[in-house]
Order: sequence, then structure tokens, then C-alpha cells
Amino acid sequence: MSMEDYDYLFKIVLIGNAGVGKTCLVRRFTQGLFPPGQGATIGVDFMIKTVEIKGEKVKLQIWDTAGQERFRSITQSYYRSANALILTYDITCEDSFRCLPEWLREIEQYANTTVVTILVGNKIDLSEKREVLRQRAEDFAESQSMLYLETSAKESDNVEKLFLDLACELIREAKQNKLDNNDNAPMPGEGKAISYLTCCNIN
Amino acid sequence: MATEELPSEFDVVILGTGLAESVAAAAFSRVGQKVLHLDRRSYYAANWASFSFNALLTWVQQQQEEPQPHEIQDWSSLLEEGEELIYLSQSDSASIRNVQVFCFASEEDEEEAPDTTEEEDSADPQGEAEEEASHKEGEEPEPPLPLPPPAQSQSESAQTLPPPAQSQSEPEPAQTLPPPAQSQSEPPQTLPPPAQSQSEPEPAQTLPPPAQSQSEPPQTLPPPAQSQSEPEPPQTLPPPAQSQSEPSKKKISYAHLVREGRRFNIDLVSKLMFSRGSLVDLLIKSNVSRYAEFKNVTRILTYRQGRVEQVPCSRSDVFASRQLSVVEKRKLMRFLTSCAEETEEQRAYNGRPYLEFLSDQKLGDNLQHFLLHSIAMVTEATPTEQGLAATRHFLRCLGRYGNTPFLFPVYGLGEIPQCFCRMCAVFGGIYCLRHSVSCLLLDTHSNRCKAVIDSRGQRISCSHVVLEEGFVGAERKRSSTPPRFLSRAVLITDGSILPTDSEQQVSLVTVPPAAGGPAVKMVELSPSTMTCSAGTYLVHLTCPSVGSAHQDLSPLVTSMFRTPESPDHDGPSVLWCLFFNMADGSGVEAEGHDLPENVHLSSGPDAELGHEHAVRQAESIFQKILPEEEFCPPAPNPEDIIYDGDTDGDTGDTYGDTDGDTGDAVNTGDAVNTGDAVNTGDAVNTGDAVNTGDAVNTGDAVNTGDAVNTGDAVNTGDAVNTGDAVNTGDAVNTGDAVNTGDAVNTGDAVNTDGDKTSPGEEEEERRAVSEE
Ligand SMILES: Cc1cc2nc3c(=O)[nH]c(=O)nc-3n(C[C@H](O)[C@H](O)[C@H](O)COP(=O)(O)OP(=O)(O)OC[C@H]3O[C@@H](n4cnc5c(N)ncnc54)[C@H](O)[C@@H]3O)c2cc1C
Ligand SMILES: Nc1nc2c(ncn2[C@@H]2O[C@H](COP(=O)(O)OP(=O)(O)O)[C@@H](O)[C@H]2O)c(=O)[nH]1
Ligand SMILES: [Mg+2]
Repeated sequence: MSMEDYDYLFKIVLIGNAGVGKTCLVRRFTQGLFPPGQGATIGVDFMIKTVEIKGEKVKLQIWDTAGQERFRSITQSYYRSANALILTYDITCEDSFRCLPEWLREIEQYANTTVVTILVGNKIDLSEKREVLRQRAEDFAESQSMLYLETSAKESDNVEKLFLDLACELIREAKQNKLDNNDNAPMPGEGKAISYLTCCNIN
Repeated sequence: MATEELPSEFDVVILGTGLAESVAAAAFSRVGQKVLHLDRRSYYAANWASFSFNALLTWVQQQQEEPQPHEIQDWSSLLEEGEELIYLSQSDSASIRNVQVFCFASEEDEEEAPDTTEEEDSADPQGEAEEEASHKEGEEPEPPLPLPPPAQSQSESAQTLPPPAQSQSEPEPAQTLPPPAQSQSEPPQTLPPPAQSQSEPEPAQTLPPPAQSQSEPPQTLPPPAQSQSEPEPPQTLPPPAQSQSEPSKKKISYAHLVREGRRFNIDLVSKLMFSRGSLVDLLIKSNVSRYAEFKNVTRILTYRQGRVEQVPCSRSDVFASRQLSVVEKRKLMRFLTSCAEETEEQRAYNGRPYLEFLSDQKLGDNLQHFLLHSIAMVTEATPTEQGLAATRHFLRCLGRYGNTPFLFPVYGLGEIPQCFCRMCAVFGGIYCLRHSVSCLLLDTHSNRCKAVIDSRGQRISCSHVVLEEGFVGAERKRSSTPPRFLSRAVLITDGSILPTDSEQQVSLVTVPPAAGGPAVKMVELSPSTMTCSAGTYLVHLTCPSVGSAHQDLSPLVTSMFRTPESPDHDGPSVLWCLFFNMADGSGVEAEGHDLPENVHLSSGPDAELGHEHAVRQAESIFQKILPEEEFCPPAPNPEDIIYDGDTDGDTGDTYGDTDGDTGDAVNTGDAVNTGDAVNTGDAVNTGDAVNTGDAVNTGDAVNTGDAVNTGDAVNTGDAVNTGDAVNTGDAVNTGDAVNTGDAVNTGDAVNTDGDKTSPGEEEEERRAVSEE
């Protein structure tokens, strides 16, 4: 028996160069595992985790790239209905940081204009190999109005915080938006009904 | 990262990301084949792509450029004993021709002064942030303005300016998009009482309840939240003089279109999805439908004697129709009912034109027109059996998701191939755009292609190759002669061709052949489909080519819209338009080409309204290669995969997307579902609802009391429960059911029509049937 009782459902999408640790971050958060075996599990589209924030149940649907980032071939439809984007780079790989503007361009083109974006520098357990200074990343994130966080999927550093912070931010925006426009009819296509009713219609 | 090499061994290499290739890719990957899927273009979906306005301008420019002579690299040095090369064609310019663009909007937004400020001001903080984000350089990089719109100049390629490369961080449009849905904890929304009365003046014979599979809970394809105010009273009048004399209406400039460019998703092809067509079935069956959202086409219109009229297509449309007389209504009902099955009488007309059959039914001009052009959508010469088959298909598709037989994907048709590509990738397929294959490597002994060689000279071995036909030189192809083309026009307009209270109509407009020309299919999309910006409509016209697209379609554009050539027209104004011809994919034969037997050819879009051609092609390629395997079996639902430490207590299928929720479901009470529930209508629950059986709702269901279902419940009408309802048997409601007391059903309850109201307590232990 299950209770489908959550207060919010958010779709979170990960992007960033191949090898920066996106899949590890998702697995660490949803399953508590590292390393998660080889690559993404075949056939798994997204992972689910329900968390509780200030008494409210928040269901997070977390989508991984399915490897399409490897040759820069992510489908537009991947971005379409995301509520939040986790833009990830590897602090030990300058190149993954330099590619960020390219990713931002893609976000700008295809993602919802109200999407919340967070920049994540992963692999801080490898600090001796760091190539991107924290300050530099913070400055960049600020210039792009993104949140910023450094994590280690390996050591489980800040991983929980990453997703919880995002959830908080999304709730905040949702509440704000509700205040802003009282008519809560979601604009077609921009949002889905998030709660699900099993409808028993009885005569 | 772009330098990484591709793996060098695959089962299937697929070139081109059009619909047929993408479906095939998903199908192969899904059953464990290693798939490499490449496209030389920088975008997905080939001639099925959709583009933002700016990306479309780039596309136009590319089409108009002289194809650069492609230097053919000689890879013969890579050959080993017994191998030969088959070079592939390196440009696909052959499939698109006669591209012409006209801009009729003013260049700048001069006269909008009062309005624009508002637009800028109300930009939400997020938007500003984003804007700042992409342009920290300071000033607004106004997109380069186009050349002055060449007022109606017939000159080709007036504004093929490079699109404002990545500079379109538009100021947020005035009406901010509401937050994506998460309105859950909200006070119970006012229940839309099923006001939508089904009451009809005439007691028509009860429709059989949707005999279809509605009760077997398929993952219903999600037509999202179709708003309720749909059925518009059919209006026969030409559009009221809306445009001129309305000073408040803001003129939309070209600069505005460019600024809002991102809001557009302009398809190269124009098609619709038949709600019981093979594409919808495939999307549902494979679970690919979870990657997209769909809207209903809300009405079918026809253009006749210079006027736009609504075609009645559901039963309620017929009854509500003001343009049909009572006699006509009866005749139409009788005819459609009788068409359902094949009769001796019909068979007598086999091989003779459908028109002849229709005219012998003495239906009158009106009905004959609707039936031939808008329902069957065939020509006067189409044989009766085909006309009847098309009519039946139309009728079968009615009512599954909405008032018309059609769905349209939110963000455009270009999403669909991408969704199949995602499925392929999820199952391990490897994707690489902007990547060409130079040649096929032929094993001369077996006459099979054993590898492909990419443009960097990498040899990639494979057992099978699927090739979009554009890759194959004409000399190796066996095509129908002469090759057929489609004529396409894309218009951005400032109003609907048949305005109603709702500005979010999605319309199919059938235009019968005029003066010996072909019939034209027109689709008018509103911003609700996320294919055009607020205040504009996107109009697609398609017909088989006779001449160039401009020759074939511009007369119709001039007669239906206001353009510089028809300045006094009181219809919507054309702001911008594009004409081009596209190769008709149905002209390519599947077999008989001069190619190795393990190289399979697929083709681009055909002229039909539906997607059967591409789906059939993908399936037949799949079956040829893997005759034993299932084509696109359902992908597992991620929510059914339980991991250790999963705090989520799901045991059934409970999430809307994957469980077939395609309407609005609002739950503020407790809902427990351990069975299968499919909702394609609006369901509101503010009480406790428990479902352990199968529940299907395609209408409006409102529960404010306690509802318990342990059997099968099917609702295709309006159901309201404000008391306690318990169903342990089978309950089927296709009409209106209102329960304000306690209802207990332990047997079979069938309500197929009429209003059933139960104010008090009611127990139905046996079979209760209320049929009007
Ligand atoms: C112009 C026209 C007239 C038709 N007349 C008939 C007819 O007289 N008899 C017949 O058997 N078929 C008729 N059909 C065919 C029929 O409407 C359906 O195409 C076919 O029965 C299958 O549709 P459906 O049941 O899936 O969906 P729908 O036709 O949408 O019906 C689904 C069920 O929901 C209920 N429902 C939905 N919409 C309405 C509505 N507007 N009014 C009342 N109930 C509704 C009905 O109980 C119906 O059985 C007509 C079709 C057209 C286009
Ligand atoms: N040291 C360290 N390695 C990591 C971390 N996260 C991921 N990795 C490694 O980085 C590689 C790529 O990770 P993956 O999650 O597949 O990256 P993706 O391509 O972005 O999904 C794997 O070898 C991981 O083991 C981390 O936080 N620390
Ligand atoms: Mg990964």
C-alpha cells in the first residue's frame, strides 16, 4: 500500500560534459552508492527520491543525459519541462569548466525561462588536482545568476545539500509564483499536474 | 571533448535522425542491439525538424546558399583485400527547393510605444537575471535587424540574414508563464462542475461506449490539460472584422518576431497525429510518450466559397451546429452510423468514386462537402472503399482524447523523433550530430556492407546500416519517376482565421481543390502548442506540388489572409511567410536499389496528414533485420524500479505521467492507488479516494466525499460524487453521473447516457443499467 502524498513534484535535469560525475551524483543521492558500476544503467530514464522539507513532501524526479552529452548531441526535448538544471563541471578539469558557456547557451535556447540553474563543481575529494579555483567558479556563477556548490559524489560531500537546496529554492519560487499570479491554471505545456489522483468514478 | 573517437563496433549504424530512422533506432536499441545514430546536420530530426524563428532563418540561408562542391576524400587506402567503397552523397540539398521568404511586418516596433514598456517592466526577476546572465557585456545586443522588409517584393530570399547568433535572450514577455504546475498544496480549486451539458435536443441513438481499450489501462498518451472551454459554437460567419478598426491591437513587428524567436518551434513538415493512428499507438506502447506532451486539435474547419466554416465532427458538434438543418443533422447521423460497418450497398460501389457513393446517399452539398473533404479527406476520384475506410478511421479516432481525431505535440512535431532518440540512448544507443559518414565498406564476396567510414577516416564495423535516402546518390536509387515533391508554406499571422472566445484553438483546415489544383491541408497553431509567441498564430500549408510552393500556395494565402496583395482583406494579417518544396518521401521505394542487402533505405516525410508511412517503414526495417524480436516493447517505468534506501513508498504505478494521467488531476485529500489508474480528463479529489482496481477517467470526475473502487471503473462522461461511493464491481459511466448520497455498487453498473443523479442512498447489488 502506498500513499501518493507529496506536496510538490519537480523535474531536475543534469547537464555538463561527460565524465564530470553527473551520474555519480544522482546515484549517490538516490541510492547512496559510489561508484555506481559502469556508466548509466541501461534502460533507466530518471530516478526518483522523495524528501521532506519543512514538513512538506517533495518528490524529485532526476533525469540524466543518457550519454547524449558525450558527442554534444542532447535532444532539445530533454530540457523542455525541467524545473531545475544542475550544470556540472569537474574541478580537476579546466576543460569541463570552459565548456560552461556552451551549456548555458543550450539552456537559454531550450529550457523553460523560469528554470532554476545551479552550478556544481564536483570531485572536491581530489583537491590536490584542482584546476579551477573556487573563487573563479563563484564569480562565474554569480555573473550568470546561478547558485553555486562544490561536491564530491565519492565522499558524499554536499550531495544531499545540493538536492535539498534546489528543492528549497524550487518551493520558494513556486510559492512566489503562486502569489504573483493568482490564477493557477498552468499555462499549457509549461507545467504538468503534479499530483496524481486515482479516480474512482462510481455511479 | 569533440575529439573523442566513436567506438568502432556496432550492430546497427543509422544515418539520419528523421522519424523513421529514429523510431528504428529506438526499436533496435530497446531489444539490446548496439546502435550508432549519426546525423551530419547540427540538429535532430532532419526534414522533420522544428526550429526557433532565428534558427529557421539560418536554415533558410543554408538552403539558399550554393551547395559547396564537396571534396570527396579518397579512403581507398583503408581498404583491405576483397573490399570496396560505396561513396555516400554529402549534401542533402536535393530534398529542399524553391525556398522563398517574405516579410510583411514592419521592421521595427514603432507604434507600439505604450505597450512595449509594459512588456519590459513586467519582466520577472528570473528573466532579468537570465538576461543579465547571457550578456554581462552590458548593453542589449539587439539582434541585427533584417533588411527592410521588402514590402511584398517577389524577390527571393529577401531576408536571409544570419540569425542573431545566440543573442536572443529576450526580455520576458509580458505574460509570464505561470510556474510549472506545482500548485498542489493549494486550496481546492473551484471544481469545474460538469456544466458542460450533454443534453441534446434529439434522442439520438446511444453511442456505444468507446468500445476501445479504454478500460485496459494503457499508458495513456498525455494530451495535457485540455481546457474545458473547448467546444465552440460553430460559426459560419467569416471572421468578424477584427483587424483594422481596432486601435488597441498592437502591430507586431519583425523585430518583435526576432526578439521572441525562441518562442517559435516551426516545423518543416506539417502533420497531425491520429489519436488511434500507428504513431500514437507506438508512443503509448513503447512508453516514449513520457517524453512529450500533446494538445488536442480543437476543431476542424473548412474553407469553402471564400468562407471559413467549422466542420461538425463530434455528436455534440452536430447537434449544436447552426449551419446544418434538422434534416441534415438526421441524415448525417444516419450516414455516419451506417458507415460503421461494411454493407452490401457499400460494396456495390467498390472501385467507383466515393463521391458517387456520397451523392447517391442524397446528403446534399453541405454534408457531401464535409464528408468528402473534411472527414474522409480524400479527393473526388478516390474509390468508395478507400473513402469509407478513411471515414471510419476518422470516426474511430474521435473522442479518444478530445473533440477531434487529432493530437499535436507541444513544442512541435520535431520533438517526436527526438523522443525516440532519447529512448534509444537510454538503452545504450550512441548519438553524434554533425558527423558524416563518407562511405560504406563493401565486402565483395558476401556483397554485404561490413563497415562504414566516417569523415575522419574512422572505420566503424556493423552488421546493418539504415540510411536516410538523402545519403544515397541518385544513380543507385530506384525512385518513382519523376520524383514527387510537396509544396509547403509557413505563415506567422496576427490572428486566427476563425476567431472565437478562446484564443488557443488548434485547427485543421481542409481546403478542397480549386481550379484543378490539389487539395490543401492547413493547420493553424496557437501559442498553447508552444510553437509561436503570444499574439501570433503559426499556419502551415501543405499540398502535393504542381509547381513551386509559391505558385501552388500563394493564391490561397492571398485569398485567406491580408497580405500586401490583399490589403483590404479583413482576415488576419500575414506577418512573415516562407515557401519551399520538400521531396515527398512516399516516392521512394523500399526495395530494389543498387545497395548491399544489409543496407536499408528510409525516406523523409510523405504528403499524408498522419505518420503511418514513417512508422510502417521503421517497423518493416526492424522486422527484416530481427524478425523474431518485438518492435518497441514497453520500457520499464522508472518508478517501478525500487532501489535500496528508496524512501519513496510507491508500490503501484502512481505517477501521472507514466500511469496515464493526461488531464488535470488535483488531489487535496488522500488518494491511494494500488491498481492501474488512467486519467485523461480532469479529476478533482478533495476527499478520500481509494482505488485498488482499474480506474479509467476520460471525462471530468469530481470527488469530494469518499470513493472506494476495488473493481473496474470507467468514466468517459462527467462524474460527481459528494457522498460516499463504493464500487466493488464494474462501473461504467459514459454519461453524467451525480451522486450526493451513498452509492454502493457491488455488481455491474452501466450508465451510458443521460444524466444519472442519485441524491440519496443507493445500493446496487446486481446489475443496474441506466440507459436512455
Ligand atoms: C458528426 C458525427 C455524428 C455521429 N453520430 C453518431 C451516431 O449517431 N451514432 C453512433 O453510434 N455514432 C455516431 N458517430 C460516431 C461516434 O461519434 C464515434 O466516432 C464512435 O462511436 C466512436 O467514438 P468514441 O465513442 O470513441 O468517442 P465519442 O464519440 O466522443 O464518445 C465517447 C462516449 O462519451 C460520451 N460522449 C462524448 N461526447 C459526447 C457528446 N458530445 N454527446 C453525448 N455523449 C458524448 C458518449 O456516451 C460516447 O459514447 C458520429 C460521428 C460524427 C463525426
Ligand atoms: N574522485 C571522484 N571521482 C568521481 C566523482 N564523481 C564521479 N567520479 C568519477 O568520474 C567518472 C565519471 O563519472 P560519471 O558519473 O559517469 O560522469 P558523467 O559522465 O558526468 O555521468 C567516474 O569514473 C567516476 O567514478 C567524485 O566526486 N570524486
Ligand atoms: Mg553519465
